[in-house]
Amino acid sequence: MGLTETLARLAVRATRILVVEAPGQWQTRVELEQQMLRLGWRPAWTPGDADVLAVCGAPGPELAQLVERLWEQMPGPRVRAAVTSPTAVTPALNDAAALLLDTPAHRTDAQERAQKPQIPAVMDHGGHGEMGHHGIDHSGMNHGGHDGMDHTSHGGMDQGQPGDEDHRTMKHEDHHGTDHSSMNHGGHDGMDHGSHRGMDHGDTDQGQPGDEDHHGMNHSGMNHGGHGEMDHSSHGGMDMAPEGIPLAQGGEDRDGLGVDVLHLPLGPVLPFWPAGLVLHCSLQGDVVVAADAAVVDGGSHADGIHSRHSGLVPAAAVRCDNLVALLTLIGTQDLAARARSARDALLHGDPGGARGAVERLHRVVRRSIFVRWSLRGVLPLAPADLERHGLPDRCLGDAYDRVLSLVERVRAEVNGANPGAPVGAERVPWGMVPHLVTGLEIGTVRLAVASLDLDPFPAVHEVGHA
Amino acid sequence: MPENMPETLLTTVPAGWAVLAGMILCALAFFAAALDSALSARAEGAGRGGWLAPAWSTARLLRQRRRTVVAADTLLLRVGAAGMLGGSFLMVAVIPFGRWTLADLDVGVVWFNTVDVMVWALVWLAGWGANSVHGLVGGYRFLAHGLAYELPLMFALVAPAIAAGSLRVSDVAGAQDRLWFAVWMPVAFVIFLVGVTGFSVWGPFAAALGADVAGGVLAELSGVDRLVLQAGRYAFLAAGAAFSVPLFLGGGAGPFLPEWAWVVVKTVAVLAVLVWLRRKLPVFRPDRFLEIGWVVLLPAAVAQDLVVSLVVVWKG
Amino acid sequence: MALMAVLAVVFLFTFHRLTAVDTSPLEVLPAQSGWMPQEHALSRFHVRWYLASIVFLAFDIEMLFMYPWAVIVIERGMSAVVEMFLFLGALLVGVVWAWREGAFRWA
Repeated sequence: MGLTETLARLAVRATRILVVEAPGQWQTRVELEQQMLRLGWRPAWTPGDADVLAVCGAPGPELAQLVERLWEQMPGPRVRAAVTSPTAVTPALNDAAALLLDTPAHRTDAQERAQKPQIPAVMDHGGHGEMGHHGIDHSGMNHGGHDGMDHTSHGGMDQGQPGDEDHRTMKHEDHHGTDHSSMNHGGHDGMDHGSHRGMDHGDTDQGQPGDEDHHGMNHSGMNHGGHGEMDHSSHGGMDMAPEGIPLAQGGEDRDGLGVDVLHLPLGPVLPFWPAGLVLHCSLQGDVVVAADAAVVDGGSHADGIHSRHSGLVPAAAVRCDNLVALLTLIGTQDLAARARSARDALLHGDPGGARGAVERLHRVVRRSIFVRWSLRGVLPLAPADLERHGLPDRCLGDAYDRVLSLVERVRAEVNGANPGAPVGAERVPWGMVPHLVTGLEIGTVRLAVASLDLDPFPAVHEVGHA
Repeated sequence: MPENMPETLLTTVPAGWAVLAGMILCALAFFAAALDSALSARAEGAGRGGWLAPAWSTARLLRQRRRTVVAADTLLLRVGAAGMLGGSFLMVAVIPFGRWTLADLDVGVVWFNTVDVMVWALVWLAGWGANSVHGLVGGYRFLAHGLAYELPLMFALVAPAIAAGSLRVSDVAGAQDRLWFAVWMPVAFVIFLVGVTGFSVWGPFAAALGADVAGGVLAELSGVDRLVLQAGRYAFLAAGAAFSVPLFLGGGAGPFLPEWAWVVVKTVAVLAVLVWLRRKLPVFRPDRFLEIGWVVLLPAAVAQDLVVSLVVVWKG
Repeated sequence: MALMAVLAVVFLFTFHRLTAVDTSPLEVLPAQSGWMPQEHALSRFHVRWYLASIVFLAFDIEMLFMYPWAVIVIERGMSAVVEMFLFLGALLVGVVWAWREGAFRWA
């Protein structure tokens, strides 16, 4: 049919790609972005808008599971592209373009694929297991104790105490008081995946309808500190969980109003977000009332960053990339485009072009009342806060101060004043992020995280170990 | 349609001409989308994808399958998305195209206001109906923006009506034969344009579709559902720009060209400015803009109305 | 024009049926970076600007008077202007008060 054919040919020119960046694949992702731009292709922000799912690098087991679900959410025509390295980008995109044109294949795929998502009777052990796990991790709770509690108290409650509404595993405030710095990332991450998940499975009885509630409650309670009220158990069965997903439950907000709590994980596949970082947020309205941070797959894929140590990727390019994210989030498109061209010039060894772009960026960011207005007062940090959270000096002030200092540093580096700045020395420990963003509105959370100028993940993880 | 013709020689055309009006609106909306993507491509140095990119995107969305989220309120979602395109058509019904108009309502200005308030419901429905956190947050963000821009917009709409002593759009256009309202009521004009960007969910007011909530209201839409919502935004932007012509820019008045041509020229100019501004301005964060809307824009609009009514009374 | 609007939308949807790779909508999970949703998003939302919305209502009702008033200003002259702007002035004082109370600032 001529019409379909023509339409397909036109459509391919506007292809949108959902980019998944496995930790450590910064370079691959950036190369992919450059090649996409050359073709006039755009990134998709959600699977619903994506034609191509491009996975940069080899995802670990946890990320692979998420990628699988994202793939199921893509409307079709859909094509998958495995981009294993920066050199694989061009062939992968060419293949994707060719595959997208094959309309009969996409028709078949549309008919043969699962028409509904798989929602397990007991919702998703894997995902929840890991969420629970991370919650534990960061709240500094004792693992052994937690496991015990998980089994005994919940088991008991599920069957016997329908009215136990006030059973909160952990208060929000308590969660805050906990000292994240005392935790041991490596140990938890390594040990926990298997055991916690296994435990959940063991706990699960597919045959019992009540189990599902038990699980939802279990994890929301565990994870997010006191927001999952336990009144699930009084309503057994499906009416509380249409299509197998529970209804949102109320929790008290800071004004004492009963408002539903929604759980929204930010990352790891989210545009303009540090790749690999997962922030499990509990939202009331658009306010993040509790959060837990983790790195997908426990940050175990600690390869890839070597290129930065060996000097292949200038630190300024990474800084510019973080600027692109921040400037896009505040919506100043032209500034973001400039930061991106500075980044690409740096990567292509074009110091002259980079210098020009950075100088103009510097001028505009300093003068723009709009940039100032958008970022002033976002996550202000006093010297005492820096000390308390173990943050480097460059995080002082609010997001606008941080952006200015970021641009200043890029400028110094591009002008050769500060060659090979010690990148790793000033890292922001990602375990601090939940402390910093709790209580903020979700847009502000995004700005706050972007303004911290986090390093790409494996590098940060190494600091976590140290 | 009212039968009493005003003295401005306006002809109310039969309803069949709505087809032409719709096509002009779609052409203007396409122009806005094309200009936007051309500006994007230039700023980003894209290798391909300038003026024609919206056509390709349309083809892409027509080919793409629709989706619905588990347990979504599909009806509300579809009403919200398709309503955006439909609403913009309703808005242009009262705009005189040179000497012709489809509906010369004696309350045309109020009609415009009614349709733009409808957008509140549409955007919120599209956000709520998706059963997705991003959409939900986006939908409520739009309401917060609406609270800030809507009242100043209403007061800005009143200013030309006071000066013309009529709410009929053609009367307002005809009352500017010596001096455009945009010249002697600039505050109202600027606030009107702020309102137009607002109800088009455009640029600074696109927080409901923001990058920070993964597209917000748009997050779950695909295929034709996404197409009608996006097309509706551009069409609303075009309709708003077109409405500014009779209201503030003297309607079809101008030398050499026929009246309808001046309407087109002025509309395209306003539209181009609105599209261009998107790239220069950040997204106004709803929480911060609320205060600006109430403490700066609203008093400014009321003061403008006061000045206009004093001038009118003094002269008349 | 309303008919035209409906026709445009119907046309697009019909056209889409012909050209899309599949006509029936796909049912999916909400976009959450691939994580399973823990609950439905449809819920009681924490609307933090409820105070502002109440002030808005007061003004919105006022607009009912404003439109007819705009038409008769010229006939009635100064008295109409004074009356209306005294009223608006009172409302604006209310706005200033609400502002000082923090109704337009979200925390």
